[in-house]
Amino acid sequence: MKINVEEVQHIAKLAKLRFTNEEAEKMAKEFDSILGHFQSMEEVPLEDTKTSSKEEIKTVLRKDEAVIFEDKAKLFRNVKQMRDGYIQVPKIIE
Amino acid sequence: MQIATMTIDEIRVGIREQKFTAQEVVKALFQRIKKVEPEIGGYITLCEEDALQQAIIVDEKIKAGEKLGKLAGVPVAVKDNICTDGIRTTCASKMLEDFIPPYDATVVKKLKAEDAIIIGKTNMDEFAMGSSNENSAFKIVKNPWDTKRVPGGSSGGSAAVVAAGMAPLSLGSDTGGSIRQPAAFCGVVGLKPTYGLVSRFGLIAFASSLDQIGPLTRTVKDCALSLEVLQGNDPMDGTSVKEVKTKSYLDGLEEGVKGYKIGIPKGFLQKGLNEEIAKAIEDSIEKFKELGAIVEEIDLPITDAELSAYYIISSAEASSNLARFDGVRYGYRTEDFQKLDELMEKTRTEAFGGEVKRRIMLGTYALSSGYYDAYYNKAQKLREKIRQQYQEIFKTYDLIITPTTPSLPFLCGEKVNDPMEMYLGDIYTININLAKLPALSMPCGFSKEGLPIGIQLIGGEYTEDKILKAAFALEEELKLSTIIPEGKEEI
Repeated sequence: MKINVEEVQHIAKLAKLRFTNEEAEKMAKEFDSILGHFQSMEEVPLEDTKTSSKEEIKTVLRKDEAVIFEDKAKLFRNVKQMRDGYIQVPKIIE
Repeated sequence: MQIATMTIDEIRVGIREQKFTAQEVVKALFQRIKKVEPEIGGYITLCEEDALQQAIIVDEKIKAGEKLGKLAGVPVAVKDNICTDGIRTTCASKMLEDFIPPYDATVVKKLKAEDAIIIGKTNMDEFAMGSSNENSAFKIVKNPWDTKRVPGGSSGGSAAVVAAGMAPLSLGSDTGGSIRQPAAFCGVVGLKPTYGLVSRFGLIAFASSLDQIGPLTRTVKDCALSLEVLQGNDPMDGTSVKEVKTKSYLDGLEEGVKGYKIGIPKGFLQKGLNEEIAKAIEDSIEKFKELGAIVEEIDLPITDAELSAYYIISSAEASSNLARFDGVRYGYRTEDFQKLDELMEKTRTEAFGGEVKRRIMLGTYALSSGYYDAYYNKAQKLREKIRQQYQEIFKTYDLIITPTTPSLPFLCGEKVNDPMEMYLGDIYTININLAKLPALSMPCGFSKEGLPIGIQLIGGEYTEDKILKAAFALEEELKLSTIIPEGKEEI
């Protein structure tokens, strides 16, 4: 096995996901096959290859200009709770 | 009106010449949808009332003699990961089941500016992750050619609704083949443009360095016409093209391929390629030779290593992009929680499906301490090598031809329990995204069982015009594109 259940659970913690041990076991097995396949990259000589160079990229940043969003009500379309004109979210600081 | 078989071009000319009205088009189309959709499952949301309202506006413009947009009265289906102002955009995920965007994606704005009519949002693999459309949180899509089979993915709904005569044009997104593979499986034309040619603003991100929006249509001419509308610089997308002049893809579409240099990768007939597909591709290559193209074998290995690089990079970007779905501001939120971690973990665990979780996990793993160099860094290097390889080839060649898929459309449920087996089906399409190149899939024949076969035409950066000319020439030779699934011809 390339990856065990404990490692799966550690990655899950980082990814903010939860798995039962049964699910983690299944995922470890699937990862085994996928990571095994990733070994194929070892066969390609890459010593002389750099990751993509910056000068190739032609895009440039635009000016950061404020634009009025006409219909303010739309911005609150997906809000779960409002209070006194503010968006109310769960407490995020302990 | 035979709406099911009509092309974009026929609809827009018919409306312009007042042979029929936009309202008649929309009504006929919804009749068709009501009949066929229950069997196919291609739509997540339909907007009949809005569409009729839009049609009335187009008809009034015609009556008043006002200037019409290029796509006036043409119904369009939009993949459900592309934001539509006021229309639910779910990504086929429980996470965004109730999400109603406050704005239109740039491509949607462009379609509306040309008087196109949005008729609905199409089904897909959740967050565009998948190759069979079986990862939708709501329902699976069936292949209109054989409803026991998958339509491909992730833009399975977009391909199926065009094939089944439920829209003459749909938008898809392609991260590793998600437009081309379903186009091949459903027998329609699908184009993944050069990275940057079409704005991604309003496309809910899967892997930002690979994602690209493109059209699915019944004919190559319709594809060219749609691309003209969709393309162009957008200040809202920092990666959108700055310097390439807007092209008319219809101009010179009939010029043919005489003198074109076409490269065929030596290894493409490798083990694993379905024999009927190999035969159909060889037949098409012969056609290109007859049409005056110079066809040569080229050294371009299509390897497992590339597939690995694709899955590492796309999953890494996905794990980062999908971190925003945490239950705090919008989207699904779990009911019971005490602390912040619990809120996020429960929200994400309850609302993401299996494949999305697998990719997030894979991406998190590849980026995590100790594995970064072995996986992510190596994959980036490989990506650069692939890009250079293609650049070198396109110094000499106009096009590269390969199959779109190694297999025919498979049965629903056939590969659902083997993620690796599913990933291997993307072998011919992922390189193109890694190299940021344009590629088109079009039907080039049928298997003995009557299943469509797709051929992939790949071009150098921003040479969509060449691809479309070659595709048009092949389509003229083959005369396949108007055939639609048996038993679904009549309204």
